[in-house]
Amino acid sequence: MLQVRDGAGEMLAVLFDRYQTPLFNFYSKLTGDRALSEDLVQEVFLRILKYRQSYRPGTPFRAWVYQIARNARIDHFRKFPREKAFEPEMLPPVFPADSAQEHQEVELLQLALQQLPEEKREILLLCRFQELKYEEIAALLGCELNTVRSRIHRALQDLRKAFQRLTQDSLLRRAEAAAAKTLPPQGGRHEV
Amino acid sequence: MKCEQIAELLPDYLQGSLNPDQFREVEAHLGQCADCFEEVAIWKKLSLLPVEQPSLASLARFEAMLQAFQAGRSTQRRNESELKPRASAWTFFRWLRSPLGAMAWSTALLIIGIYAGLHLANFKSRSQDTAAMQSELANMKRLVVLSMLQQQSASARLEGVTWSTREQQLDPQVLSALLHTLRYDQSVDVRLAALDALSRHSAQPQVRGSVVSALPEQQSPLVQVALIDQLVEWHDREAKPHLERLRQSPNLNPAVRQRADWAISKLN
Repeated sequence: MLQVRDGAGEMLAVLFDRYQTPLFNFYSKLTGDRALSEDLVQEVFLRILKYRQSYRPGTPFRAWVYQIARNARIDHFRKFPREKAFEPEMLPPVFPADSAQEHQEVELLQLALQQLPEEKREILLLCRFQELKYEEIAALLGCELNTVRSRIHRALQDLRKAFQRLTQDSLLRRAEAAAAKTLPPQGGRHEV
Repeated sequence: MKCEQIAELLPDYLQGSLNPDQFREVEAHLGQCADCFEEVAIWKKLSLLPVEQPSLASLARFEAMLQAFQAGRSTQRRNESELKPRASAWTFFRWLRSPLGAMAWSTALLIIGIYAGLHLANFKSRSQDTAAMQSELANMKRLVVLSMLQQQSASARLEGVTWSTREQQLDPQVLSALLHTLRYDQSVDVRLAALDALSRHSAQPQVRGSVVSALPEQQSPLVQVALIDQLVEWHDREAKPHLERLRQSPNLNPAVRQRADWAISKLN
């Protein structure tokens, strides 16, 4: 990173290789929008170039990158207030997993994650997928270490509840579908 | 252990940063509490979420941006060097407006003021010096003229008269010396030269009167004629009675009398 800071643009390609996918996943899981996520990843690297002089040597680079990433997203939504609400179709396709049950679990987990408030979704993404340490997250969000711990705990609780609710709904729907198959609709009942 | 206490340890348990004792406590609790167990389970399940891959277009866009940046940097360097004077001028003005700048600015003004003051004072004293030098020089010239007019040698006295013509304005002392020379100098040439010198200063009031009063005392016909010619040149009407008296004086050179007649007719 020091080389990037001191003007070696070629070194940015190395950083891009390393951070493109994690950043893309951070954005796509946060927003559920692939196209927007790619735009934001570009914006992050543009900002790294622009503000490379503001990187202080010796400080963790990953935290600096996520600081830029958060700001880029905040600035984007300030300029373009969200028009489209989250739609399940926007979720990435789930590739055939080991079993049908696992396949369904992943789908429900994605839905549950999208149902969380954004702050909770963000903190879970930062610690689970971006693998930031709690200390780094605390610095990033500008809060105490214990606040980070309790926020993660609450976010996980909410996720668990959302997931359980979705699983129950899904089971209920499947039971209904199964019941509909065994008991075909009675004739003479017409929809108006 | 209660759920609240476990909740404090759970995040660190998830990151694997608990010490062995705490780890065992949490594990024991998870065996009994379904909610906490589910929380850990959902954390573990999150790993099932697929890692998405950005499109290849994303890499192409990044490379285009990097190239544009590197191309821009070479032109930017040029622009920077062009913009620098403007930027530095602007920062200079900004700096002047800061308290430190204002202090430096006022100090500079003070120094300029003091320097200008001293310089002007020097100039004044220098002009005073020049005036003193000039007056000293004039004084010296006057002394030269006066001393030369008193020389034994006629040629030295003549030179003294010539010296006196160098001054635009005659010093009163030099003037009276010249008038004395005109009246009483032994040499006709010197008297004529004195008249010539005095004629240049006819604007000074006492010159004309002195020339007229010198007329009866002159014995030399040459000087008498020169005086008469000078009076005619000046159109001095007051000189007429003096000329009449000269004309009637006995032993007058006939040429001089003739000249006096001509002058009287001219002045009428």
